[in-house]
Amino acid sequence: MNDFAHGGLYGGLIITVLMTTTAMALWFERKMAARMQSRVGPNIVGTFGLLQPVADVLKLLQKEDITPEKADSALFNLAPPLGAIAAIAVAAVVPFSPSVIAVDLDVGVLFLLAVGALGVLPVFAGGWASNNKFALLGAMRALAQSVSYEVPLVLAAMVPVILTGSMKLSTIVEYQATHHWLAVWPFFLGLPAFLLFMLAMLAESNRIPFDIPEAESELVAGITTEYTGMKFALFYMAEYVHTLVASAVGAALFLGGWDGPFAPGLGWMVAKTLLLFASVYWVRWTLLRFRSDQLMALCWRRLVPAGVVLVVASAVWVIVFP
Amino acid sequence: MTELARRVDPHLVIERYDPEAELMLMHFGPQHPSTHGVFRMDLYLDGERIVKAVPHCGFLHRSVEKLCEKLAYVQLTPIVDKNDYVAPMTNEQSLVMLFEAMLKLEVPRRARWIRTIFAELTRIASHLLWLGTFSLDLGGALGGGSTTFIYTFRERELILDLFEDVTGARFHYNTHTIGGNRHDLPAGWSAKVISALDTITARLPEYEALTLQNGIFRERTRGVGVLDGDLALELGVTGPNLRACGVDHDLRRDAPFHAYDEVKVNVATAKGGDCLARAEVRFAELKESLRLVRELVNAVPEGGINSGKPVKLPVQTKIPVGQTYVGIETPRGELGAWLVADGTQFPYRLKIRPPSLHALSALPYILPGQTVSDAIAILGSLDPIMGEVDR
Amino acid sequence: MGHLADAFRSIITVAKSFARPTQTVQFPKVVRPRAERYRASFALLHEENGDEACIGCLQCERICPSKVIAIKGPTKRDSPVTGKKRSYADDFTLDMSACIFCELCVQVCPTDAIVMTREPEAPGFEREDLVLTMPRLYANEKNKPRAWGDGTRLMEMQAAPKVAVPAPRVSLAEASITTASAQPPPPATAVAGSVTPHPDPLPRGGEGGRS
Repeated sequence: MNDFAHGGLYGGLIITVLMTTTAMALWFERKMAARMQSRVGPNIVGTFGLLQPVADVLKLLQKEDITPEKADSALFNLAPPLGAIAAIAVAAVVPFSPSVIAVDLDVGVLFLLAVGALGVLPVFAGGWASNNKFALLGAMRALAQSVSYEVPLVLAAMVPVILTGSMKLSTIVEYQATHHWLAVWPFFLGLPAFLLFMLAMLAESNRIPFDIPEAESELVAGITTEYTGMKFALFYMAEYVHTLVASAVGAALFLGGWDGPFAPGLGWMVAKTLLLFASVYWVRWTLLRFRSDQLMALCWRRLVPAGVVLVVASAVWVIVFP
Repeated sequence: MTELARRVDPHLVIERYDPEAELMLMHFGPQHPSTHGVFRMDLYLDGERIVKAVPHCGFLHRSVEKLCEKLAYVQLTPIVDKNDYVAPMTNEQSLVMLFEAMLKLEVPRRARWIRTIFAELTRIASHLLWLGTFSLDLGGALGGGSTTFIYTFRERELILDLFEDVTGARFHYNTHTIGGNRHDLPAGWSAKVISALDTITARLPEYEALTLQNGIFRERTRGVGVLDGDLALELGVTGPNLRACGVDHDLRRDAPFHAYDEVKVNVATAKGGDCLARAEVRFAELKESLRLVRELVNAVPEGGINSGKPVKLPVQTKIPVGQTYVGIETPRGELGAWLVADGTQFPYRLKIRPPSLHALSALPYILPGQTVSDAIAILGSLDPIMGEVDR
Repeated sequence: MGHLADAFRSIITVAKSFARPTQTVQFPKVVRPRAERYRASFALLHEENGDEACIGCLQCERICPSKVIAIKGPTKRDSPVTGKKRSYADDFTLDMSACIFCELCVQVCPTDAIVMTREPEAPGFEREDLVLTMPRLYANEKNKPRAWGDGTRLMEMQAAPKVAVPAPRVSLAEASITTASAQPPPPATAVAGSVTPHPDPLPRGGEGGRS
């Protein structure tokens, strides 16, 4: 079928699965966090609390939709859906299996980095348009943090591109399927690049230890302070989707995507994504957060030089060992 | 005046809506997840740097001191219990010690011992709570901070269970009375204490790994909110906040009361006066209290627990004319009570000196120059309880 | 990086919780056992012969710091059990919404009529649900487990022991008395507080009455 139909069909499929997985991820995270804290977690709504996300969504849907009087209502109302769109759009180029990929762009990596970066603007717009000092502080921090951590993210994403010689995500995964996973060989390039990618991804999606923009203990709710109801739900969901998709991208770029020792396909991709996702939330419920200037120092003084060294080293590697 | 106080003028007048000043006024309002009670700070911000901070307290004022003038001495212990609601035993202890001093009443040795055990257990419980809420401030309610918070509360529950066994209440006990205690230790209580302490001691390395030894924690707290020792003494800061500035002053050792003159208290101090020092001092105090309770609970003397008259009538205790001040060492510092008595069964004036108020008075001096995130860390490390600040 | 090692150590520490059982219980299906002395609500008791124990002496109403007890009485009536005239309380209400659970009313009761119970009151929807009326208080005698403390027991616990235990230190009251004892008294450390009574700045002759 032609590209539009293919893209639309698979895109719709991916979006549906993504939304469902986000809901399930909500449950999974709460249960995991509870066990880490010697508690039980949700267990009333549905067996083992499996319907808890449904209850959460219904609760958020029935909340009153408030727009502050002096807020810039156009930006205020547009920001959440735009943020959600930017988070979801990245999933278009991720190869979930040899046949399931919505749009197999030749410049897949460039697309996902660019569209992922677009997600910064709605966050900032929402915080600024709220006419709330807490939200403004959160928005400033979010902007500084996201823009800064784009650099290590790009540098880390360059390593698979250089090592495999292509920006097309399906090619990258196929290269890993035929050779080794990039985090396994060359491990001195792939593994640090993978770690760098994960750290930068943590910062991009405002996860602890980099969640200073939405620091509840400092800024009430940061950028989402003035948001209620479905708009808040969209922001909240956009975070989960961003983390999920970024985990999928990390799995595709460094962990071999749908490749596996036996029966390669969708199952491996899903397993790796969920593994990375779980580790992101494990870190979230364990660590404290950095202060914003310490964040910046970490990025520009440690991560960016490391990224540059990795890019140069992988270029040298490709030249020496084609 | 210290160097720091000379440099920073907390009374610096800033025009609120002066466009030239380019300062943002942010109310760290009474409604905030991490102000340790209802507390408001007006922060004048230049970007993220605080230029001036104006704290406002009084949101939790309940006219406790005025209420105390209307109630008889024997009715006051449950009222004053609610001041420092995190370390309730010490509130009652300071009050009854004051009345006993005015009446020149001697408390039986067993009661003194039991009171000291309660005070040290309260210190453990209070510092555990402080550790949990400090992690919450630094790490977020939905995140790493809350994990430490849940852990420390789980341990605190063990101590509250111990208190429940003795007094029947978990939180506001009314177990001190003029002349001694109202509740005696039940059989087998010492063994329960030891087992609870064993559990807490076993979990302490976990807390250290999650907080004190964590690189992120240390970066957030080192060099943040430095309080000069001289300034602290001028402002009347006491307790762990003072000892973290290097001033070696602890009422348990320097002016011992109750059973503290029969046990050796190792006082923890730290240099630097920053948040990390305060955290280290509190942690060390936690460990020291664990050791003290072990020592005390194995050697509780026999005897009666009350040498005064048990409470029967409001009119039974009349304190003759005079004034006295009594200060004891609570987990927050020196909690003092000042009584002016006029011979009736009602106090003429009862004034409570809350240690947290003096700790908060240091805020206008140490906040300027820090960022908003630091303000939270500083507020958490000073460990104020608004209940006793506002009374 | 040091941070990575610390983060790793924190993660391992938290991971230990997965192996531990949960510390929470599913309230209200599971209720943790409360201590014997736990005080949560109130009950008025009858005596063994079935007569109301409360004589309406108003001691609990007077001692209560929060003034939550309101008693109508006492009135002298013929007892339905013994036939003799004795005093009763006509009505007894206790406002749980203001009670601070200090147990003083239990301690002062001369007939052990009012005691506390180990189970709390159920939450209600109206403010009136929190006011314990006399029928409810007498009903609690049967339908709630009692706490250990009642007037007699609390007074006994605070009574001086039968065998006098000598206090080993010089009290404030005796500090100035020199006794011709064989051992020199230990240094007079302050017993009931770190206090040196301040010199009274009130003018002499001013007896500090309430103005």
